[in-house]
Amino acid sequence: MKLYVYIIRRLLLMIPVLLGVVAITFALSHVNINLLISEYEGRIHTPQARQAVINALHLNGNFLEQYLYYVVAVFTGNWGYTAPSDIDPGSPVVLEFMRRFPPTAELAIVATLIMVALSLPLGILSAVKKDRLVDQATRLIAMFFYSIPVFWFGLIIILIIGPGSKIVPPWLQDSGTGQLNFQQYAIIYKNGVYTLAPWAVQGGLSRPTGFLVIDTALYGDWPAFLDALKHLMYPSIVVGVTSFGVFVRYLRSSMLETLGQDFIRTAKSKGVPERYVIKKHARRNSLGPTTTIMGLTIAGLLAGVVVTENIFGWPGMGTWLYDAAVSDDLVSIIATTFVFTIVIVIANLIVDILYAYLDPRVRLE
Amino acid sequence: MSVNNSNREESEFVRSLLSRFESFKRTFYFLTRSPLAVIGLAITIFYILLGIFGDFFVKGNPWTMVQILEYKGQYIYNTPLPPSSTFPFGTTYGGYDIFNGIIKGARIDEGVAAIIVLTGALTGVILGSIAGYFGGIIDDIVMRVTDIFLSIPGLVLLIAFMAILGRTLEILVFGFIVIWWPGYTRIIRGQVLSLRELKYVEASKAAGASAFRIITKHLIPNAIYPVFVQVSLDFGNVILSLATLDYLGFGFAGQNLAEWGNIIGLATHGASGVLSIENYPWTVTIPGLIILIFVLSLNFLGDGLRDVLDPKMRR
Repeated sequence: MKLYVYIIRRLLLMIPVLLGVVAITFALSHVNINLLISEYEGRIHTPQARQAVINALHLNGNFLEQYLYYVVAVFTGNWGYTAPSDIDPGSPVVLEFMRRFPPTAELAIVATLIMVALSLPLGILSAVKKDRLVDQATRLIAMFFYSIPVFWFGLIIILIIGPGSKIVPPWLQDSGTGQLNFQQYAIIYKNGVYTLAPWAVQGGLSRPTGFLVIDTALYGDWPAFLDALKHLMYPSIVVGVTSFGVFVRYLRSSMLETLGQDFIRTAKSKGVPERYVIKKHARRNSLGPTTTIMGLTIAGLLAGVVVTENIFGWPGMGTWLYDAAVSDDLVSIIATTFVFTIVIVIANLIVDILYAYLDPRVRLE
Repeated sequence: MSVNNSNREESEFVRSLLSRFESFKRTFYFLTRSPLAVIGLAITIFYILLGIFGDFFVKGNPWTMVQILEYKGQYIYNTPLPPSSTFPFGTTYGGYDIFNGIIKGARIDEGVAAIIVLTGALTGVILGSIAGYFGGIIDDIVMRVTDIFLSIPGLVLLIAFMAILGRTLEILVFGFIVIWWPGYTRIIRGQVLSLRELKYVEASKAAGASAFRIITKHLIPNAIYPVFVQVSLDFGNVILSLATLDYLGFGFAGQNLAEWGNIIGLATHGASGVLSIENYPWTVTIPGLIILIFVLSLNFLGDGLRDVLDPKMRR
């Protein structure tokens, strides 16, 4: 099978998954339909207002009709409005999503990098030195961090690095409130006028990339860049460190399987140095199967992101989900659930295509 | 004739039980050779005993924590007391006794986790064996559905569930099972797919055994071992998720539920936010260590079991 055939087949397989995911979010938003309606009504609870909402959301049709309207709305970017309050008339969920997504992506990407950077050497070392002290210690460490409650680890990190801490020096301390010390860096006082720094316009909506670390660097605002980096460091360490254990375990078993195969023995017996065998023969072959569990690992990692954002006050999707769940903002809850799911679906897609590209045998199945 | 027949069946049954016991003894022997697994087993047994019998040694309602508003003439609602002989683990915000809550929490956490994991495993075993044995369109449908559920991050779906449907124990258990069955379905299906090609299944089919008999007598008993490993690992995972959910405040009951995550949540949401824990570190560290030790020992046990039950690793 050619690679592009495989990719097309994989994309077609994604359609039922996407429809199923939309079905679940549909069920979630329609199971408690009165909550949804009263949320859209706002404070005006009259039969007319209720009827207007029902008409606008096409809730008077039968089940299938409603689902079709829902699917069309989801895929045309019409995700509804956040719950209105006395001071906030409610804004389109898509706008809120554009504001909230980049910080979470930033955190998740750096956390994934930390996870991979930790697990690659540990997993390979553990397999090569099987059953020796290094292996036992590595497995112990991996299992330890795998068993830590993420939120608790975040709190312990805050205990260590919080302001006034005696453990770390002041320049490493961080109160764990959001992405940076906003007052200090984003609000500029010049010639008697307060202005916002160019990278901080509109709550992040018109930034070049949306990633604070990249934007501050693009505009050359180095103090703000360093501060943003410091604020990014701790939560991503929390997420990365608590999710690398699973990856080490899979990498180890995959590596052990590869090391037991004939071509490794052949390579060793013809005198290829051990280091070279591991680097060139074993590692490449064992990385392929490990990528397939990357999707599951990322699902776990995103769950960690949700909790960590809550603890560090990170203004991303997780905080949005938490705030929405606290204030019964149904549309936002559904939107965050949907976005997290789509991220995982796409991550799985990329991982599968990558695997098929790296290992042509996969395409034959 | 019929008496003889039933006798023979009975002795066959006893023999099969004996052989299973023998294999169990062998498994146990291999398990005891790994020090980490033994430590894990011992701590797990201790925690389970605590969960079963702990309630006899603590005061008050088994579901809620004991609140002490005054101690030695001092109003302690907002000032947690450090560990002392009266309060072995100290108190937390709201004047709740941490030791008391942790003992009660053992029963709640372990009970809820056991219900979730066992129901999820049962659902997975049934669906997975059916999908694997019959194959074809049934297999396709079941596997696509597991794909869908495996794509949704569990914690996010749980928060959505609890926020939309209400914060009750039934909804929580239902939500967890929705998340936890696909993993088991996949494991069992993979096992059954390889088992159903074996000669004894073919022989049984040729002898006219029904699909139900083949699945329950031949396939499930042989495919079940990876599920045991997964159950021991997932028990810890469920407890972690449960604690996280309760920490965030989306658990199944009110503020004073005696649940390990909720005890930590009381400390950080109680007074002035996360930073206040610097003044009262024990309100966070102790309940977290209790969770960590239990989940870690479950993972030791599960890892040991995996090594023992996987014959490739036993060598």
